[in-house]
Amino acid sequence: MSITQYQKNLLQQAVEAGLTEAEVYYEQKTSFQCTLYEGELDSYETSDDGGLSLRGLYNGKMGYAYTEKVDDDSIAFLIDQVKANADVLDEPEDLSIFEGSEEYAQHSFYNEELEAVSIPEKIECLKAIEQKIRAYDPRIITLDYCILQYYSTERALANSNNLSLSHKENGLVLFLSTVVKQGDELKAGSYLKMTRDFHSLDVDAIAKAAAEEALAHLGEQSIPSSKYPIILRHDAAAELLSTFMPIFSAEKAQKNQSLLKGKEGQQVASDILSLITVPYHPEALSGGNFDGEGVATKQQAIITDGTLQTLLHNRKTAKKDGCESTGHAQRESYKDTLSVAPQNFYIAPGQETQDSLIHSLTEGVLITDLSGLHSGTNSISGDFSVAARGFHIQDGQIASPVKQMTIAGNFFTLLKDIQAISSDLYFLPSGHGSPSFIVKELAVTVE
Amino acid sequence: MIKQSIIENVLEAALATGGDFSEIFIEDKYANEFVLQSGQIDQSIAGRDFGIGIRIFSGLQSIYTYTNDFSEEGLLAAAKRAALAIKGGASGTIHPLHKEMVTPIHQILRMPNTVEHSRKTAIMRQADSIARNYDPRISQVFVRYLDEQQNVLIANSEGKFVEDTRIYSRLSMRATAEEGTEVQTGFYGPGAHAGFEFIERLDLNHYAGEAARIAVTMLHADECPSGKFPVIIDNEFGGVIFHEACGHGLEATAVAKNNSVFANRIGERVAPEIVTYIDDGTLPNEWGSLNIDDEGEKTRRNVLIENGILKGYLIDKFNARRMNAQPTGSSRRQSYRFNPTSRMTNTFIAPGTSTPADIIASTEYGIYAKYMGGGQVSPSTGDYNFAVMEAYIVKDGKIERPVRGATLIGNGAKTLQLVDRVGNNLAHGAGMCGSLSGSLPVNVGQPMIRVSEITVGGTKGE
Repeated sequence: MSITQYQKNLLQQAVEAGLTEAEVYYEQKTSFQCTLYEGELDSYETSDDGGLSLRGLYNGKMGYAYTEKVDDDSIAFLIDQVKANADVLDEPEDLSIFEGSEEYAQHSFYNEELEAVSIPEKIECLKAIEQKIRAYDPRIITLDYCILQYYSTERALANSNNLSLSHKENGLVLFLSTVVKQGDELKAGSYLKMTRDFHSLDVDAIAKAAAEEALAHLGEQSIPSSKYPIILRHDAAAELLSTFMPIFSAEKAQKNQSLLKGKEGQQVASDILSLITVPYHPEALSGGNFDGEGVATKQQAIITDGTLQTLLHNRKTAKKDGCESTGHAQRESYKDTLSVAPQNFYIAPGQETQDSLIHSLTEGVLITDLSGLHSGTNSISGDFSVAARGFHIQDGQIASPVKQMTIAGNFFTLLKDIQAISSDLYFLPSGHGSPSFIVKELAVTVE
Repeated sequence: MIKQSIIENVLEAALATGGDFSEIFIEDKYANEFVLQSGQIDQSIAGRDFGIGIRIFSGLQSIYTYTNDFSEEGLLAAAKRAALAIKGGASGTIHPLHKEMVTPIHQILRMPNTVEHSRKTAIMRQADSIARNYDPRISQVFVRYLDEQQNVLIANSEGKFVEDTRIYSRLSMRATAEEGTEVQTGFYGPGAHAGFEFIERLDLNHYAGEAARIAVTMLHADECPSGKFPVIIDNEFGGVIFHEACGHGLEATAVAKNNSVFANRIGERVAPEIVTYIDDGTLPNEWGSLNIDDEGEKTRRNVLIENGILKGYLIDKFNARRMNAQPTGSSRRQSYRFNPTSRMTNTFIAPGTSTPADIIASTEYGIYAKYMGGGQVSPSTGDYNFAVMEAYIVKDGKIERPVRGATLIGNGAKTLQLVDRVGNNLAHGAGMCGSLSGSLPVNVGQPMIRVSEITVGGTKGE
């Protein structure tokens, strides 16, 4: 039975069983992943998997269930679970299943040419990169991971209001981590590269970047713990933005979990900062022409010149606030209920180069890597205290790598303290992106 | 879950191109999750995860494939496709499957799926009300209830054939306290490899009360000073620091490839004599416990460090080949979507002789970390970082004022050397551990520990 037919049967039986409205969301993914160790293929993985969920209105409440066993028996399981789960919810929320947007953008997220690249070609590419990294410098002792991943995903959303949408995407991601040793000093540096254009991969440039990422940290020095002006490099900046992304969700605001609640129209950041979400960005791998409940996605300014324009809404939060959905219903997978999150979400790049940011500081710290974000940040208060790696800047030049540090501050204050933004926009696989920027100061503690 | 003849055919097809070992892992999991926020049950999810992983070894190469296609043709096709990654060599032999009975060490008294949803949500409401009534400054309470029944079937070309059912129950509580512009949160999330009896017996006054107390206490905490201090880490979830700082470095995943500071050091002193570090998957009903690991090996008690001497590693079947060692019942995966590897179960520091009161009384100036947040480590370098959820300054042998924003950073191997007190009050805490083979329930535990010096990052400066 085709999935379209299965979706139809499920919807029909759901309505017959007493759900007033229903929606079926289906996802199917194929992937290939390989890792190398000392020139040899160490692991090789392929997959073909997926599942579907049923969301439906029962006694005015929205129940939810999913399965990965797509067979006739699962139809009864899904309908029973949707009912039981609707029953346990508290207030009816006056929800409905969407009838569809008037128009949908037609961006493509799928590259046929990438799909056509054979597995041996992908392995050869990774082998070439690994060899180049190992030959780059005698201080390179190993790669603690050297991974290539390719995926292709299909999604389909169908509901009892005759809405039927589909989406197809693919992408390729390289994860490389180089380990270097000099005397007793052992350092690792990781590097990630993603693309939808296999033939654009520059093996030499990738190998160089991955090697330098670790080598640059040899010869680390201690600097006094103090407050310093900080340059957050694009990748560290994108990680931090991504961690605090929930503050832009109207769902969090409505639950009193975002200090941006009610701040629309107010200055919440430095006036050089603009924050944008778009359904499609050529540099990013994520995105889609519709959101998790089928609403058409569109470009949206979240912060313009420091002023908060809107929070991110799905249909439920928009209804509560008496506005339109901004097309940010998020469905991480069929296993999750709907939440609110953007697809591609990034700080607008400025004009300067990363180098000119460095040259502009008499003394400061360039942060290239953050860790412990999941535990050292509080998205409600905005406070963060996280481990960091980076470099000491003196007289406009990088003076030395710095021993393991922590940086601490508050994200809401940081937004206001951004003093210069460069042009080097960088995206994480999640679609969250940022250029590098200077923050007036943060507390730095050095080991 | 699937006919034995199909399993045999799949194991055989997987070896057709020269592999020397094949394995099938079938998972059929039912999960329920409820979320209470703003005093209301606002999310309820039920689902069934179902899929099959097929693994093939060819020397030091591991091939893994997974699918939800449970038809015989689908599985055979997946096995054959995976086998294509192997180029030649003599195929291994298939031994006849021999069904092994699992002796359940972890008694389940009340299967979660026999309990009404309303009974589960009633307990969530009770936790919510305890946290709210703790203090008028508690502005928000988030309660999450989770139960899972994971049925697994593991069979391999060596003739292993074993089935097991794992039951998990967990209740997590996060309280938010607000006053003026200050917002702080506190968290407690007990969990067990047990049925609904675990949730019913939970001392909600304690757990929900603690989540609320932490949030309120931290409202008026000073900013944490930064610098190098003696740090006293309390028992139970405090053990997360050694989970990150040395547990991950003792996993074969890192050791086999020499990507760990502990590689090739068995028999060496890696810690003071007062430190004994154990991973034990057999502790009855503990959150990280299992009857069998995800390769079908019985879990066991693995002494990793004994009186400061490195005794062993946590080893899975694949890395055992590279290390020329035996598996230790430590191979785990989040689901059929993950190629299994060596992971921790319940890891803890064995109790010592100091009393908590003595440890604090003998500290002139330092930080007392009462509840830890999460952390992470780079196994190849051993550099770790941690957030402390509730911390205090200790001065002249007394716990003084609370401080917030404390982050601990350092190097695992070095921190281990600096343990100078081990308390007598061992307790375990439940957490989730994320690594190569996914996110897994693990226990971290310890008695109260003192480390003579850790770098503390804070907002206040020195």
